[in-house]
Amino acid sequence: MLQGALAGLAAGGVYAVVAVCLTLMAQLVKVINFSQAAIGMFGAFIAVTFADAHVPQWLAVMLGILCGVVLSGVIGWIIATWLPEASISARSAVTVASLLLLISMSYILFGTKPKTFRAVFPGPAFEVGGVVVSQVTVVMVVLAVAVAIAAKIVLSKTGVGTSLRAIADRPVAAELMGVPVKPFAIGVWLVTGLIVAVAIAIVAPTQTSDAASLSLLVIPASAAALLGGFRRLDLAVIGGLALGMIQGATAQFPELSLVRDWIPLVLIVVFLLWNQRKEVWDAAR
Amino acid sequence: MNSGAPDTLVLDDLTVSRGIGPVISHVSLAVAPGSITAVVGPNGAGKTSLLESISGVIQARSGTATFGGADITRLSRRKRAKLGIVHVEQGRAIFPSLTVRENLQVASRDRATIDRTLEYFPELEKRLDAPTALLSGGEQQMVVLARAFAARPKVLLIDEMSLGLAPVVFLRLLPVVQEFAATGVGVLLVEQFAQLALGISSDALVITSGHVTYSGAAARLLDEPETLRKAYLG
Repeated sequence: MLQGALAGLAAGGVYAVVAVCLTLMAQLVKVINFSQAAIGMFGAFIAVTFADAHVPQWLAVMLGILCGVVLSGVIGWIIATWLPEASISARSAVTVASLLLLISMSYILFGTKPKTFRAVFPGPAFEVGGVVVSQVTVVMVVLAVAVAIAAKIVLSKTGVGTSLRAIADRPVAAELMGVPVKPFAIGVWLVTGLIVAVAIAIVAPTQTSDAASLSLLVIPASAAALLGGFRRLDLAVIGGLALGMIQGATAQFPELSLVRDWIPLVLIVVFLLWNQRKEVWDAAR
Repeated sequence: MNSGAPDTLVLDDLTVSRGIGPVISHVSLAVAPGSITAVVGPNGAGKTSLLESISGVIQARSGTATFGGADITRLSRRKRAKLGIVHVEQGRAIFPSLTVRENLQVASRDRATIDRTLEYFPELEKRLDAPTALLSGGEQQMVVLARAFAARPKVLLIDEMSLGLAPVVFLRLLPVVQEFAATGVGVLLVEQFAQLALGISSDALVITSGHVTYSGAAARLLDEPETLRKAYLG
């Protein structure tokens, strides 16, 4: 069971990274970015395509990550340009469309068969009580924690962070004070696109490597972000890692294999109901 | 009207539309450095829309707005802010998740500027590290004004500063605006408390149902209540 839980930690790391990015985007640019993992997926598929064309692997991975960053920036630019004062629901609907578009495009451009990704961090890192912990697991956990801590420091200790929080509170008022709201919003999209593209490039070789499976990593990540109420980065990280470990542990029991993929959805429902617990009848309806 | 005078805001025949039709039509005025122009009128007259069209929150349908002779009618909100046109929105537009100090830092990272600003509002000095959301309504309005002052405006647009405030707080803030204007900042002051606003203003504009019904000296409206009444009635 411990072996399973530790094996699930790599997936938990990517859930945590995506959950942190989802939380940042919900807080700073008021969007639940359902296309977050699909952007990383698309970048990873680009990397495989370049690698298959005998481009050196490091360069192929870089090009894939760059593609993810550009894609994220383009979606961010579209939303910042045409939906600057739209509701979070309207903005999030655009990302659902982007998710479907990216999956469709990947089927058209790369085919429907799963891809073989070459590991960026191959092999084990160390053993704990006879259980092997892979390099990917270590890198993903460190990346998740590092991203959350870095985001916290930038937001609370820097001028850029202060401006970003001001934009999150009142974008129009911030713009009236001369804050460059649109460039900052696109910047958030670019940075989160970079982080997720890197995370998925690292973790893709350990996951089911078809377009839909990689894109739908956003579901367990959303469950993790919900644990932190799309506000707290620390709980998003903890939720992501815990979810990965629970899924890894349940994978050890064949009779639970069908339940495994339902765990994130069950947690999403539980968290939503928990968040509604103090609502009065009229407000909750 | 000298539209080329430095740091003078000039509106020429400005019309602003919202939704189905114009909310304010054919407004012309000039706000010179150091002057206060009161904009008064009944609710729904179009006063807020006028300020929003100057700061760029909404775009004017026709007419022009110039600042120091340069056409700003189609500039973005940010570019207008960078030119020194600062808009204090209605309803205490604080950044609630930021502390008082951070609210001021959004406008200026220069410590000397912030210190100078706090001289107008000594009440805020002991609350600098408090979350702005926890302040009283009066303190929040001080934060909003202080933030606008810290942006070192050349023209300050103030919308309904008295909204939701106790009269005593509003009376505390009016002289501060007057003092700040005396440093060479043009102020366009939209206010429901007409008498108080006219009392600190050199010029006045009365807007009723989207049309200017009086434009001239503020003192005349104070001296001739019948003129003010007629202007309100359109």
